[in-house]
Amino acid sequence: MEKLNILVLEDDKLAQKVMSAHLAGHNIDLAGDLKTALKKIEGGKYDIGFFDLMLGPDDEHSGLKAIAAAAAKGVYCVVVSSSDSDEIIDRAYALGANDFYAKGNEESNVSDILRKFLQNRKAAGARDIFSYAFITCDPETKAAASEALKYAPTELPVLILGPSGTGKTALAKILHEHSGREGAFVSINCSAYTEDLLEAEMFGHKKGAFTGAHETCKGRLLEAHKGTLFLDEIGTMGLNMQMKLLKAIEERSFYPLGSEKPEHSEFRIISATLEDPQALIAQGKMRFDLFQRVHGYTINLKPLTRRACDIAPLVQHFTSGRRRLAFTPEARAYMENYSWPGNVRELKKFVDLISSGSEGRIDINEVKKHLKGRDGGQPALAREDGLYSYAMTNGLEAALEKVSGEIISRNLRENEGKKTKTMADLKISTRLLYSTLKKLGIEPEGVKK
Amino acid sequence: MTSTPDSGKLLHDLRSKCSSLKSAAELYKDCSAAEKKEMLALMNAAAAEIVKILAQIDKA
Repeated sequence: MEKLNILVLEDDKLAQKVMSAHLAGHNIDLAGDLKTALKKIEGGKYDIGFFDLMLGPDDEHSGLKAIAAAAAKGVYCVVVSSSDSDEIIDRAYALGANDFYAKGNEESNVSDILRKFLQNRKAAGARDIFSYAFITCDPETKAAASEALKYAPTELPVLILGPSGTGKTALAKILHEHSGREGAFVSINCSAYTEDLLEAEMFGHKKGAFTGAHETCKGRLLEAHKGTLFLDEIGTMGLNMQMKLLKAIEERSFYPLGSEKPEHSEFRIISATLEDPQALIAQGKMRFDLFQRVHGYTINLKPLTRRACDIAPLVQHFTSGRRRLAFTPEARAYMENYSWPGNVRELKKFVDLISSGSEGRIDINEVKKHLKGRDGGQPALAREDGLYSYAMTNGLEAALEKVSGEIISRNLRENEGKKTKTMADLKISTRLLYSTLKKLGIEPEGVKK
Repeated sequence: MTSTPDSGKLLHDLRSKCSSLKSAAELYKDCSAAEKKEMLALMNAAAAEIVKILAQIDKA
């Protein structure tokens, strides 16, 4: 354990003794009055200061003066006091206090404070995560991820929103690594299982619980004990399963399939979805109470096309230790304007293709060869400009129809003309599908049901 | 009882001493013999203070 230099300002001898016991293993300096504390702050170098406010029977919260002095020297100031009026709390925070705790629960409070402090320091002192674990130089994405990192050492659930391939899983892992949780990072992609299989995967099962259950299986919830449970694509989870998961979260216990003995697990939830949770709730596909349980802090990851500045550093990261790539300015511009529908995952595949199949400096033709067909080879910005001009000429409604038509056409192509699949994918009615096809002049023939 | 500023301070002291006593009691079982002796002396002193404060509150 890292040894910290800690100052405790406390006039009560018994309270001093209690704090010393809870801070055992660190370098502790005790001050029983303000004068001694100020002298120690001036001459010492402390990481954390614990401050009582009323120092003696007739004292008027003189401990506040020590907070101001310590905060000015960069000490992490924690008030531990029986004075808990809003006015005093406000004054303490205004003077630079970082935390304020009521006396009487030192056993859990002190350990929480030390854990939080050490984690925050680790996060701040660690290598810049944006240059090795979550590559981005986009200020907005950096700010959002940094803000999320502040919640890493807490119990707060985190919901990560963003299109597929934007780094939701990578961010979840980073949050776990910075959480200080002793358990494992356990990830489960909810969309990869049928409801029955998902239940067995999550809660585990006893041998013989169902056909094919040849062995007893622990289940992901139990694997995540004291760790993090990452629920990827939570929006695809069935309502019945959502209810069971909610119960397990609330009660911190659950029954594996075929077992009458409940299992206990303390896991922190990080979840991710590419869908809009509010829309899922409105459509009755997501329980509001589950949403409430999983969205303590929400972070929204932008698609790659809206953070084009990340393309070059990502390419550099993907080729680190391998053949380095050099692009002509035209090729670079094309890449920066490309829409990258598969986001970072698509860029990674592109880099793998280019690295293995190209020689020398990579020009625009080489880039187009690998990106053509996925996006019609048309740069995103150019397309947006074109669409804007179209709307200005033909009106917004016509432009929206054009976009709908393009999306429907593309989806039909990708689904090899299967209309029912397209209606399900795009959540559209038969009427809208047929009217769009008619407007586009596409005959429904060749389009499979 | 309506708290006057004085009784407010007394109540604060009472809360503070009681909290320390409670926290010390939670720690007591894990202390070594020597620490237990020291802790007990401090707890006794705190308890005496609490009695004194209660008497003052009664008078206030």
